[in-house]
Amino acid sequence: MAKMKKKAGEINSSSMADIAFLLLIFFLVTTTMDVDMGMRRTLPPLAEDEEQQPEDIKLKERNVLIVNVSKSGKIMVGDQIYDRGDLVRNGGESKLSKETFNFLVDPDRSEKKKTLIESNIEYDLSVGVVSLKADNETTFDVYMQVQDELTHAFNQYRSYVSEKVYGKTFDELDADQQNNLRTKLPPKISEAEPNDQTNK
Amino acid sequence: MAKKGKKEVPAMSTSSLPDIVFMLLFFFMAATTMRDNDPQVVVNVPHAHEITELDKSITTNVWVGQLQSRSAEGAALSIQFNDDIIRVDQMGDYIADRLVEKGYESATSMLVNLRVHETATVGKVTELKQELRRAEAYSISYAAKPY
Repeated sequence: MAKMKKKAGEINSSSMADIAFLLLIFFLVTTTMDVDMGMRRTLPPLAEDEEQQPEDIKLKERNVLIVNVSKSGKIMVGDQIYDRGDLVRNGGESKLSKETFNFLVDPDRSEKKKTLIESNIEYDLSVGVVSLKADNETTFDVYMQVQDELTHAFNQYRSYVSEKVYGKTFDELDADQQNNLRTKLPPKISEAEPNDQTNK
Repeated sequence: MAKKGKKEVPAMSTSSLPDIVFMLLFFFMAATTMRDNDPQVVVNVPHAHEITELDKSITTNVWVGQLQSRSAEGAALSIQFNDDIIRVDQMGDYIADRLVEKGYESATSMLVNLRVHETATVGKVTELKQELRRAEAYSISYAAKPY
């Protein structure tokens, strides 16, 4: 009965599975799968004194798109009035994001400045800034929707630039190129300070 | 020869079972994060398209909404920082404590995730943002869920 001959005694590992199962169940219960999603923004440092702002921060009027949100959810962009329906995306674009995108692209609206995108690649990037002001009574979901559409316009502009510069959409670029474009073309949305607003 | 070689069917080896279970275990350990603080305020964040995943290791959550215990129509908004309900003007102190706790050099290396209820007012958020600027916590995010 050579077949019955055992190898050097193995450790019985049948309980290993039980232990691992216990651990597995512990992790299943104590953890959540959902990831935090959010829209990132960088707040400006507090200005010591409004008068002390450096000259280059003061922007020309044509380079600022003023977006005002009233407490009833009406949105004033420049001199046009939009309502909440214009924030809804129709065929991928909303009226507000189209308007913002036009503001950035149109050579007659915001100024374009030659910027070095990569060594020996230059492109005329818009210096346009969106100034977003909202009434203190505006609800946060309207505010977020407006922010969303404005960010979308900047992302569209980034994709537009990427197609002009690299001949590819932003999503097709490699990670380095994407990061590079992200730093060169951040969404320039300035959120108003409270003293800019009425009744504060 | 064929008859001689006939063997009994050996018991199925279960030795690979732990390996499989360990693989699952590692997957879950890697893919999941610990449940963070339970919100004491009612917060239903708005929807948005243009959102990105946040790095949990640097994120500090701040909730803005009505207290769960008295979430009546028109009740005042409360702010929750980690597990505490705080006033707006306490924000700076809490940020400072958080920095020490996390061992950060400055508030710029941390991301404050604002989880604001969709019907909260922008005024409250602006107040909060002013406090954050005062505390030099410039990096923020507005929490939202994808459509």
